[in-house]
Amino acid sequence: MTGALSDIRVIEVGDHVSGPYAARLLADAGADVIKVEPPSGDSARHVGPFPGPDGDPDWSGLFAYLNWSKRGAALDLDDPAGRATLDEFLAVADVLVINLPLADLERLGLRYDRLRRLNPTLIVTAITPFGLTGPKSDYAGDDLIAVASGGLAYASPGVPDMPADAYAEPPIRADTPMGDLLAGIQAATATIVALEMRAFDGAGAEVDVSAQESVAAIMTWEVAHASYHESKTRDPVVAGAQPNTYLPCQDGYVVLAAFLDHHWRGLVKAMGSPDWGDLEVFDTGAERALNWDVLGPLIGEWAMQHSGEEIARLCHENHVPSFPAYGIGDMMRHEHVRERGYLRSWPAPDGKDLKLPGFPACLSKTPLREPAPWPAIGEHNADLLHGLLGKPPGGAP
Amino acid sequence: MRPPPLQGLRVLDFGQMIAVPYVTQVLGWLGAEIILVENPHLQSVRILPPYAEGVRGINRSGGFNMMSTNKRSLVLDIGVPEGLAVAKRLAAISDVVVENFTTGVADKLGLAYEDIRAVRPDVVYLSVAAFGRSGPLKNFAGFHSVVNLFTGVAATTGYPGGHPRILGGFPPDFIGGCASLLAVLQAVRHRARTGEGQSVETSMTEAFTTFIPQAVADYSLHGVEPKAVGNRHPTQAPHGIYVCRGDQRWIAISVHNDEAWAALCDVAGRPGWRDDSRFATAADRCANVEALEPLIEEWTRNEDAPALAERLQRAGVRASEVLDSAGTLTDEHLLDRGFVATVDHPEVGSRPMGITAWRIDGERPSAFTPAPLLGEHSRAILGDLLRMDTGEIDDLVRRGIVIAHEDAAEAVKD
Repeated sequence: MTGALSDIRVIEVGDHVSGPYAARLLADAGADVIKVEPPSGDSARHVGPFPGPDGDPDWSGLFAYLNWSKRGAALDLDDPAGRATLDEFLAVADVLVINLPLADLERLGLRYDRLRRLNPTLIVTAITPFGLTGPKSDYAGDDLIAVASGGLAYASPGVPDMPADAYAEPPIRADTPMGDLLAGIQAATATIVALEMRAFDGAGAEVDVSAQESVAAIMTWEVAHASYHESKTRDPVVAGAQPNTYLPCQDGYVVLAAFLDHHWRGLVKAMGSPDWGDLEVFDTGAERALNWDVLGPLIGEWAMQHSGEEIARLCHENHVPSFPAYGIGDMMRHEHVRERGYLRSWPAPDGKDLKLPGFPACLSKTPLREPAPWPAIGEHNADLLHGLLGKPPGGAP
Repeated sequence: MRPPPLQGLRVLDFGQMIAVPYVTQVLGWLGAEIILVENPHLQSVRILPPYAEGVRGINRSGGFNMMSTNKRSLVLDIGVPEGLAVAKRLAAISDVVVENFTTGVADKLGLAYEDIRAVRPDVVYLSVAAFGRSGPLKNFAGFHSVVNLFTGVAATTGYPGGHPRILGGFPPDFIGGCASLLAVLQAVRHRARTGEGQSVETSMTEAFTTFIPQAVADYSLHGVEPKAVGNRHPTQAPHGIYVCRGDQRWIAISVHNDEAWAALCDVAGRPGWRDDSRFATAADRCANVEALEPLIEEWTRNEDAPALAERLQRAGVRASEVLDSAGTLTDEHLLDRGFVATVDHPEVGSRPMGITAWRIDGERPSAFTPAPLLGEHSRAILGDLLRMDTGEIDDLVRRGIVIAHEDAAEAVKD
């Protein structure tokens, strides 16, 4: 069984996170992905974590994750010969995934109006911080800019962990490239949509993916506040239904999501059925929110008498969603993660074991491809130039 | 003119909350026909705020309405045999079936993949669960907060020295949806090319964990847990979110090299910063970030965020206003790019919403129907698709197995 894109060849001119991740997702789906890097390498090769202290560019954990299952060609696109070779690759490709800044696309002649003449069936998926058009199309960006301009930062921390003080706890980003990874997944998705459209009439397309919009497109629920009622602020509020709360416990923090009435009744049982659990003033989610100044401390007092794991167990026995705040190690060691075989593992230098997140989805007939190693810089130059493009062996790229 | 890419694809949607509704929302925008099967007992997003103008109502939830455009509503009690039989008849004429029931429910109802495949051999069947459909936590109810905490994403989020924090906007659900959508489109493509259906299973926690590769790698290699660093960067500074003039306004500034730092000093009109040896190189600025950030904020707090972001960008510094939920709908750039569509709903009127993160040949989806009123299409779906006659439908409605729109107000009265 092979992946759903096993008939597709992708050329990636990507750097850092978003473009490489989009192309890797297509490789997971079976596409033949050729990564074109400058001779100095993708910048992610210099971002760790690394197994050893030397920062070996072939062993960046971030690079490995974003580039497994690809073949690598090194081309200098500042050199006309390098650009000519890239054109030859594009002439035999279905898709170009590129995330260079708009000014570089112009400078290198990699805009769609030229590429479509080179290969009318080519799909050009271009990821940029703010998109290819509009008043901010020439703005520079990175992950911080994406999560800030897309609305995720303003919303965070969020329900049930609203800031205690809007200013003391300002908008925050997770310390991981969430906006760039979202742009990657949105770009891979849009590329498959464009392939479906190509199936209709054989024509390629320009796919314009904005990192800002990649974040904004998943902020539906936040945006609904502005569209339907009033824009959300960061003021601490007890809104909607309770208890939907994140609170300290004996050994850390724990969340309780018991705002639906049947979950609330389960939580009362989990807490040992205290008398106040039956009070009429706590009957509905809305009443529990209204009377949260009384109810919150009662629940908090109970939580402080138990560990996070105990609270989660008691809640689970009563069908109430709850969980303690895990460290990365807690998650990685969890029997659930192990039993599902989720994490991927590679023997790394210095006797280390490099683990990386695996696949979020399982397809029964077109399974995602088992990850193959990521390329060294220019590792497949000879194969690709000779084998794919028919150049004489031994020539310069 | 190309037709919408998924025109002719019929999707039977048992989706609840966010992850699966997000998938079918995008499929609907791409031209698929979405039949949303709603539960008459209504523990659904229809009963969650925000409501239009804050007034509660079964057709007034912004969350529901903004994830349910281009869908048709059938209110059907699949907890009783006659209702379940109707659901199975619909599955037999659908190309895609999607569900995120609690683990075990689809099996018990006879709506699992194997059951549907028996009546529709080429079905594409999407099943989404917070922890997936196998493993010791398969039955664990996973709200977004649980997923934030289990995966360790919360451990990567926090103010310096503080405890793990939970991201807002329910990203685990939406990212679970994004991962599911990507997989479903692969399955739909394979089916279009070969006629073969398949099952697709997604775990929200696994989808969310794909977003923290460095934390996972670091722990595996060095046994190191993430530190709460706020918005700081390990090798660049300033890299953060700083308060601006106005009510709850902030700017994001990311100085990625020394040239950008010099440019920022010029924009700020603080030549002294450029000459300050504590801030000479990126390494210096990182080492002295506790001294640097208050200076930056002392300057930004009297500035207007969008105007300052523009000045910084023009000077070559990465910067953006920190957009809030209203900002997404009014941002001149997003409007210019057609990211915001306005849909007219019969009960709550015109409402703007964000649509796809991509444009294909400059176009985004442009044909929208408003989110359905509760049970709005119950009669049409049963009559047109299953050829049930009015008497049969009336009988199901009278017995409360089906709710049709004209009876909805009565049926959902508190």
